[in-house]
Amino acid sequence: MDSMQTLISSITIAKPWGIDIPNYFWFTGSSAAAFIISSFAHVFGWKKYKPIAGISLLMAFVLLVAAPLNLIDDLRQPGRILNFFLYGWENFPTSPMKWGVLLLLAYPILIFFEAQALYRPYFVRKAKKSGFLGKIFYTVMTFGRTDLSPEALDSDHRLGFVLGAIGIPLALAVHGYTGYILGAVHANVMWHTPLMPIIFLASAMVSGTGLLILLIPFFQRFLSERHQVDTDMVAALATLLAWFIVADLVMRFLWLTFSLTFADGEKYALYSYFRLHFKDTLLIDYLLCLFIPLIIGFTRLKHIPVVVYFGGLVTAVGVWIFRWNTVIGGQTIPRTTPGFLRYLPPVTGQDSIVSMLANWGVLISLICLVLLIFPWDEEMIDCYKGAEHGQQ
Amino acid sequence: MGKENSRRSFLKTGLASTGLALLASSKANAFSLKNPGRDAKDARYIGQKGKHFVMVLDLRKCIGCQACTSACKVENQVPSGQYRTFVTETEVGVFPQVRKAFLPQLCNHCENPACVPVCPTGATFKREDGIVVVDNTVCWGCGYCISACPYDKRYFNKKTRTADKCNFCAQRVDKGLMPACVETCIGGARVFGDINDKHSEVARLLANFPTTVLKKAQGTRPQVFYINLDDRVTELFDTTQDLDDMVKAEQGFEREWMKVREEATNNG
Repeated sequence: MDSMQTLISSITIAKPWGIDIPNYFWFTGSSAAAFIISSFAHVFGWKKYKPIAGISLLMAFVLLVAAPLNLIDDLRQPGRILNFFLYGWENFPTSPMKWGVLLLLAYPILIFFEAQALYRPYFVRKAKKSGFLGKIFYTVMTFGRTDLSPEALDSDHRLGFVLGAIGIPLALAVHGYTGYILGAVHANVMWHTPLMPIIFLASAMVSGTGLLILLIPFFQRFLSERHQVDTDMVAALATLLAWFIVADLVMRFLWLTFSLTFADGEKYALYSYFRLHFKDTLLIDYLLCLFIPLIIGFTRLKHIPVVVYFGGLVTAVGVWIFRWNTVIGGQTIPRTTPGFLRYLPPVTGQDSIVSMLANWGVLISLICLVLLIFPWDEEMIDCYKGAEHGQQ
Repeated sequence: MGKENSRRSFLKTGLASTGLALLASSKANAFSLKNPGRDAKDARYIGQKGKHFVMVLDLRKCIGCQACTSACKVENQVPSGQYRTFVTETEVGVFPQVRKAFLPQLCNHCENPACVPVCPTGATFKREDGIVVVDNTVCWGCGYCISACPYDKRYFNKKTRTADKCNFCAQRVDKGLMPACVETCIGGARVFGDINDKHSEVARLLANFPTTVLKKAQGTRPQVFYINLDDRVTELFDTTQDLDDMVKAEQGFEREWMKVREEATNNG
């Protein structure tokens, strides 16, 4: 040994981003994925996904309405939110956070209008059937267009197509920018890779599909008048999930092989981090949460709904863990003090476990609200009827 | 056609009311590319034109007394448990050839700061004299600048609940005084001045001694220069294993150590 250095005393700062941020990333990612899946039918015309396109669109909407609440909770001065819109526009080209908030505003508005175009004929019918208050409410939801002629329905369809087509890049951007936020930080050896937006998008498709695998059968079985799970759709989603996992694994493989092997001197910090977390990462993140659902999706196991639900659950949870490991794990890597930092989220208060759970509570409430307002069930049943007629 | 018109009028009304709401809010707070202080050409925001302030840290003279740490806390009313500057204390060498090495650390007031361009509210910016400052009346506390700083020299101030860091004591410098840490440094290790003034002490030191900066590879071009900086000390920054923690873990002290840490964190 030539020399030895020992730290006697130093100070390191508390890292700024806590549990809210991985949760936010998970919400936006899952929203983008749900939107893309809804676009399979609305934009690309894949009839197979038509029955779940409407409900997927609504899930994309609620996830994205609930997501920014995490960000507001993370702010130390949430009362100054207007400052974001008023000041600092000279930093627009270099601050991905600046792009993000604009995307976060535009995207849910676009989804809302797309959902309105999709469900307008149902609102018109509901308005006719409902009592006084219901009539007013559903008439407002039609935006004053009560025409049900084939031309009007065709115009709804075209509007849905156009908004869906605009929405695809917007959905990719609304989650891709979160990857930019991290990737732009050259001070963080784990985050700083141009692959970060793509990695985030790939894992988002995984978590979003996993979430839909859990939610759609639940809605169909317990909340729909059909009372029947479309097991073919569950199997189709399991295969789709498996393909998204393939994309995710390819991205992560590229990221890790380059950053651990061919990067400059700072790769040692990353190497050390993954060595420390090797077992957790390999067994939980990769084996349980990615490889097992991958096998389910590409084998006959996909025809056993319970197995697919398990696969959906572990991928959704697994991607949440991945977001945590990236955001929190990246911040634990030392910059000016030896040793990894530690972070345990507080139980109560701002940016805490309770605030994150409260955000999930908001999400569940919003899901209930849109399920009440939008005639998703009738539209889904109509799609199934249409598919049956098509087959005959 | 009538239906189309009604939708159009609905959208028109919506757009008009949103526009009015925006106009009303912008009347109270003017829309700005920068921030209100910079737009108003407030001297505290613009700084001293024509000057470029830097600091030279002569490590041959630092004795690790932490007088700078204390003076900074008092001058800038830094909350307890938080620091704008401090001196890292290390031991280098192998017994019996061992010596202590000190590394005073502060914001590097980089020429190309990583923290400024990512700020979404324009709260942090570089003055014309090179001092990087934070406007704590504008900052919304998102923490992006804290994440972006490669030197970990920004933190959330517990009192103001905004990003905070060393500002070279701009409030003193603008009155012709030295930063508090420089004023109090008993060994004269901290030297501050205008590098554009060729007769200044900093210009003389930079001309006569080899200097180095921290984390040069980050490309931020720090304006805090070190004389006699030992590579062995900076290597510690990238060490992912804390020797002290390793020993404690091996001897079964880990749990106790965690408890002490948690208590310290809870007590601020």
